[in-house]
Amino acid sequence: MKTTVCTMFCLLLLLAASPARAHHAFAAEFDAKNCADVTGVLTKVNYENPHAYLFMNVKNAAGQVEEATFQLSSTSNLRRGGATPAVLNASLNKEVLIRGCASRNGEKGRYAASFIKLADGTVQRLGQDVEGLFGTKIWR
Amino acid sequence: MKLRIAVLLAATSLLSVAALAQEQNKTYVEARGNVVPVPLPPGGPPPRMADGHVDLSGVWFSGPTGKANAWSVVADDTPTRQDPMPYRPEIQKKLDSMTRAERQLMSAQVTCRPLGVPGLWTNNPYPHQIVMKPNLFVHLIESNNNWRVVRIPRQHKPKEEQETLYMGDTASRWEGDTLVLDTISLDERNWHSDSLHVIERLRRPSVNYLEYQYTLEDPKVLTKTWTSAWRTYSLGNEDLTENFCTNNENVEQLLKLQEAERGR
Repeated sequence: MKTTVCTMFCLLLLLAASPARAHHAFAAEFDAKNCADVTGVLTKVNYENPHAYLFMNVKNAAGQVEEATFQLSSTSNLRRGGATPAVLNASLNKEVLIRGCASRNGEKGRYAASFIKLADGTVQRLGQDVEGLFGTKIWR
Repeated sequence: MKLRIAVLLAATSLLSVAALAQEQNKTYVEARGNVVPVPLPPGGPPPRMADGHVDLSGVWFSGPTGKANAWSVVADDTPTRQDPMPYRPEIQKKLDSMTRAERQLMSAQVTCRPLGVPGLWTNNPYPHQIVMKPNLFVHLIESNNNWRVVRIPRQHKPKEEQETLYMGDTASRWEGDTLVLDTISLDERNWHSDSLHVIERLRRPSVNYLEYQYTLEDPKVLTKTWTSAWRTYSLGNEDLTENFCTNNENVEQLLKLQEAERGR
């Protein structure tokens, strides 16, 4: 059975994967129907692969600060889309807004991000369009 | 009854119109990084090498624009005219029983394993660079900055010298203007079948376009030979970038999801 389990999945992935698409399915990890605008102070930019991450301090309803983690696209897509390290780092320690969809595995404060409103007001893509916010192409 | 149907149809129609109007009036988010794709023209006949064969060299992006399209704002119309994968019934049954998290964990893009053959084409959203000389095919991929080199023409190694590899053992030849790569002996961590045989075909119909097709033979998994549709790549005008998988949280996150799914 060892032989067949992996092979069938590799074959499935070969069929399913369009080279233009992201490297794995968004819907497996995040809930596209549970997204929100999250506002807070950007504390860290982690520009690595297979995904970059942004970290934000968010005040909850009781006024306490909680950390939120946002998974972005790959550094390849971010660079080509204008979200370079310099662009993101320029908003460090400043208030930003990030559109995030919640993780499906129950981990609190973990999201996938689709865009950020940077401290200077620029709206910058960070990931896939799972809500149809930007046009007709909706990833799942 | 007729009245009820008429009312229902009218209501449906109104709903459709309302939905359409809402869709047409929808304001999309203007953001830096949004891409409106513009297909490249064919660009004339393909260049040829000193030996007369077509030169496949270039930086190639998936799709027709010669650029990255991950954040395209136009629907993906990649042709998918190909037969479904003809799985053996026991394979299909097992496949249907697995969760999305389990499926994702089998992907080399998720685990950061080498993509191997043909995954470096088929499980890879990032650009490719091909460097060719007469008798040599060099394939560089941005994904995890991996590579594959094949001499042309080349025969398979003798059976006693073969070992399982992510890129396998590739024989190569020209069939007219199509480069054919015939691969066996693939690493079981990506494919797990000692009978898998991959035949890849590459051609460059014009300066700006590259096309790729692959055929799979695996009697332990498939009921018959399966051939993909031709995939289109277009000529880019930028360099590959550094892309190493140095911070992979996918596996840990998917394992948590898998645990949560099992508990439901």
